[in-house]
Amino acid sequence: MTATTTSASHGAGQPAERRPRVNARRVLLTVLLAFGAFTMIIPFLWMILTSVKSPAELIEFPPSFWPKEWVWSNYTEALDAAPFATYFRNSLVIATGHTLITVFFGAMAGYALARIPFRGRELIFLGFIAMLMIPTYTKIVPQFLLVKFMPLFGGNDILGQGGSGWLNTWWALLIPGGLSPFAIFLFRQFYLSLPRELEEAARLDGLGEFRIWGQVYTPLVKPAIATVALLTFQDSWNNFLWPLLVTTRDDLRVIQVGLAVFQQEGTTQWAYLMAGTTLATIPMVVLFLVAQRYFIQGFATAGIK
Amino acid sequence: MTIKPPGTASEAASAARRRPRRSIPAGRKLRRAGWLMVAPALAHTILWIAIPVLATLVLSFTDYQVFRAPRWVALENYVELWNDDVFRKATWNTIVYTFFTVPVSMAVAVVIAVLLNQKLRGRTIYRAAFFLPQVTATVAIAMVWLWMYNPQYGLLNGLLSMVGVPRQIWLGDPSLALWSVIAVGIWQGIGMKMLIYLAALQNIDQNLYEAASIDGASKVQQFFSITLPMLKPATFFVFVISIIGAFQVFDQIYVLTDGGPANATTMMTYEVYRSAFQNFRMGMACAQSVVLFAFLIVLTVINRRLTGGDEK
Amino acid sequence: MKKETRRVKASLAAGAAAFSLVLVACGGTDNGSEARGDANSGDSEVSGDITLLTPIYEGNEGKQLLEEELLPQFYEQYPEVTVTVDYTNFGSLNEKLTTAVASGLVPDVMMMGVGWIEAFASNGVLADLGEHGVTIDELSGDFTPEILEGGVWEGDLYAVPIMLDTRFGIARKDILAEAGFTEPPGSFEELREYAIALTERSDSGELERAGFDLLSMDLRQMYEVFLFANGGSLFNDDYTEPAFNSPEGVEALQFLVDLVQEDEVEDIGFSSTDIDVHPLLNGRAAMAVGHNNLWIQLQEAAPELADELMPFSITGTQPGMFFGGTLATVSSGSSHPEAAMALVEFLAGEEAALAANEQRGNVPARTALLDSEYVQSNPLVQFAMENLDVAQREGGVPQWLEIRGDFTPAVESALLGQKTAQEALDDLADGARAAMDR
Repeated sequence: MTATTTSASHGAGQPAERRPRVNARRVLLTVLLAFGAFTMIIPFLWMILTSVKSPAELIEFPPSFWPKEWVWSNYTEALDAAPFATYFRNSLVIATGHTLITVFFGAMAGYALARIPFRGRELIFLGFIAMLMIPTYTKIVPQFLLVKFMPLFGGNDILGQGGSGWLNTWWALLIPGGLSPFAIFLFRQFYLSLPRELEEAARLDGLGEFRIWGQVYTPLVKPAIATVALLTFQDSWNNFLWPLLVTTRDDLRVIQVGLAVFQQEGTTQWAYLMAGTTLATIPMVVLFLVAQRYFIQGFATAGIK
Repeated sequence: MTIKPPGTASEAASAARRRPRRSIPAGRKLRRAGWLMVAPALAHTILWIAIPVLATLVLSFTDYQVFRAPRWVALENYVELWNDDVFRKATWNTIVYTFFTVPVSMAVAVVIAVLLNQKLRGRTIYRAAFFLPQVTATVAIAMVWLWMYNPQYGLLNGLLSMVGVPRQIWLGDPSLALWSVIAVGIWQGIGMKMLIYLAALQNIDQNLYEAASIDGASKVQQFFSITLPMLKPATFFVFVISIIGAFQVFDQIYVLTDGGPANATTMMTYEVYRSAFQNFRMGMACAQSVVLFAFLIVLTVINRRLTGGDEK
Repeated sequence: MKKETRRVKASLAAGAAAFSLVLVACGGTDNGSEARGDANSGDSEVSGDITLLTPIYEGNEGKQLLEEELLPQFYEQYPEVTVTVDYTNFGSLNEKLTTAVASGLVPDVMMMGVGWIEAFASNGVLADLGEHGVTIDELSGDFTPEILEGGVWEGDLYAVPIMLDTRFGIARKDILAEAGFTEPPGSFEELREYAIALTERSDSGELERAGFDLLSMDLRQMYEVFLFANGGSLFNDDYTEPAFNSPEGVEALQFLVDLVQEDEVEDIGFSSTDIDVHPLLNGRAAMAVGHNNLWIQLQEAAPELADELMPFSITGTQPGMFFGGTLATVSSGSSHPEAAMALVEFLAGEEAALAANEQRGNVPARTALLDSEYVQSNPLVQFAMENLDVAQREGGVPQWLEIRGDFTPAVESALLGQKTAQEALDDLADGARAAMDR
């Protein structure tokens, strides 16, 4: 049950009498997986179903699961409620930016921490992990101050005084959250699990370290790249507080901030909120479907021989 | 190439550190390359995270109400925390939450990852399904769990009533609320962990399995003798990240219980949030964060000592 | 070695390329000031670019109202002023204010809640409006004293109220009639009697309708209604000591505890602040402590119940009503205080305030607006306005923001029977005292 290749060869090469047992196990497996998957999907389904309900149906008691009437106009009305095209574009730029920065610099640092022996490496690695241990809510004020006092930007002088720094700029949205120690850590673990023969051979061939990283090892950690990209993108796409704090202008706001228009005190417009949220979730589902294609075992023979 | 026992790669790394290489023009050039590659990430992290972390540490010794300049109070915040029943409760809740969510969701995630790594009809759909909670908006997740836990019409009480168990007030009963939150934590934590394990599984050399099959090892034996050991670096990562994540659990509390009833589900990060942004006591929030930080450092060191981390 | 450096450079260049790719879309550096009306009449003495931080006007309709109706009118009066609006909501207002104050980049005009002014004014964040020509005396004809008090700190005016969020009793007329009640309860005893009679349980004892719902409302605000109705207050007269653990306060909480534990008019878990539908609207409660904006929910989801909602004052030793609300303030560091002041006066003025209240279903703070068409067409708001003389606010001490968060757990612990009403409130008072001594 561990590997694709082995279970596939079972089917082909086994004597016929063993088939029923295998099938029974398969069925049980499928049932279990389907049940598990279903419990995971419910909220998503609920979100979509809620997004097409009428206000009258939403107050029914007990709440209905399946809409009696499908009010698709919730979607168009939700989209009309705010400049979502702008928000969407902004979110896309920021999430893509964060992903590119993170994958590039994160992979580089992760590689060095995993495979290049240099003094202080262990300390730096532990330092990166430690940086994950302070909650957002305490870091966010100092981070905000760093952005505001960024020298020579937004009317600031060289000491960071006098202006608004990076506030209300793309810099504030792109740079501070651009790289997380999380990604560096993850990349390190993946580079660590690769065999050493490759680097020895490459170094003997006279390849420089950057080439070994870029051409020898990195093609082997595509699943890690896909994972980091997916998680970074999703994290950035869903970020609400930071974009809200560092921007005041509507043309710089992002989709999660935009969705908050449906959550007024006491009178949340659930159908619109869920319609907007559904639309905001779709890019990530698509991205997942793309990324997961890299999770196909192809390592065994691909790199080594 | 020959099949190496697990741990080879890390051995290589530490071996490289121990003894000088012979034939390769190693040494300085290699070290410099290492530093160059780490430098951008290091610089970014120092500026955007280490400085704020340092500020947190310093501010934890002050009375900083945001309105006014910080005033040095030495250990006052910590003394207050020591005597604060609510924070003590939050600390205990956080420990309980972490103790139960992390191992369970990790175990489920690794099994699911292994299952979904096989050729299986609808594999892509399953994978997407298990990842969905990770991308579904928190408000939607909260709505559904509030519905599941609803004492009157919730799914859980519906199931219980079928087997004749009286209905429970999942989130309103102080003795049940924390467990209800833990269940959501497990459920929501599976997606990301599964993803990482799934990615890590791709790095395992298939020849290992073939060799083991020839030796007559069963699937379950292979799982324990090959898969798990080969997943060690990933497991170390998932474990550390999960503990950090569990110690900083916030969203679920914020949307499901607001720390209630009567502080039964309040957590350390929730108290940090309350101090910082509801009470405007930034200095206190920093002190609470430092306590949280200390817990995590100790746990991580213990973890590394016990499991040997990912190094041999 | 040379080769190596070139490769390093190449890699760095690639990195930089990836980086700048990201920044391609970041061209715009135009500033986001609102388009200004081009009328050339008006007060051109007052000028400047000012910023407004607001948790109201936050939805789509609110934004349209502010930008397409209100601000154009303002620009007609003050053509030399431009306003940049920073929208947020009450959920994130604290974070916005915290970072603003910490960085010294405080918006010229800020909207805040009742109970917040004390903290911000006592720390010098807000401008004394009296110094800019708006005095308490001047406004005392427009607002009831208690409402105006919400903007006052140590005898000076720091904020002008725009809208109120009120909490009072609401009953379902039709459900009360079924049980033979035609008038709302007039005392705690009657309230209990009604609630017991109106509570419905299934044969298996499951609660189907709460006689009186107190769990859909934030427990602090719910308790405050009863505290005020029982003649209690949050603090003593000179705001030096907490007073909610007075005999009146304990009695009020005990009454609520008894409703839940003895009379079982509502079960813990039956409702909560997280519910998306108020139990009055789907018949799962006969009476409740409600917010005036329940009317908006009703119009949207259950318009057929329009004639069935009956507001009433929760009455103990006196009629009690609780109000919070939104007030407009000016930053003490504003470089254009006249412009900021002008905007505050405009937004808190009759016309703009009425529009903002109508958009949110809230209660106008100005007494004169009782006669407006909006108030007369919204029974809950009308009721609130007619009874504003009994309404009381929270706050009064600069540490209120610190203290208030502990109310809900304390009330919860009493309702759950973990502590007696006296213990819960005494512990709460200890915490409040510690905060006030800090």
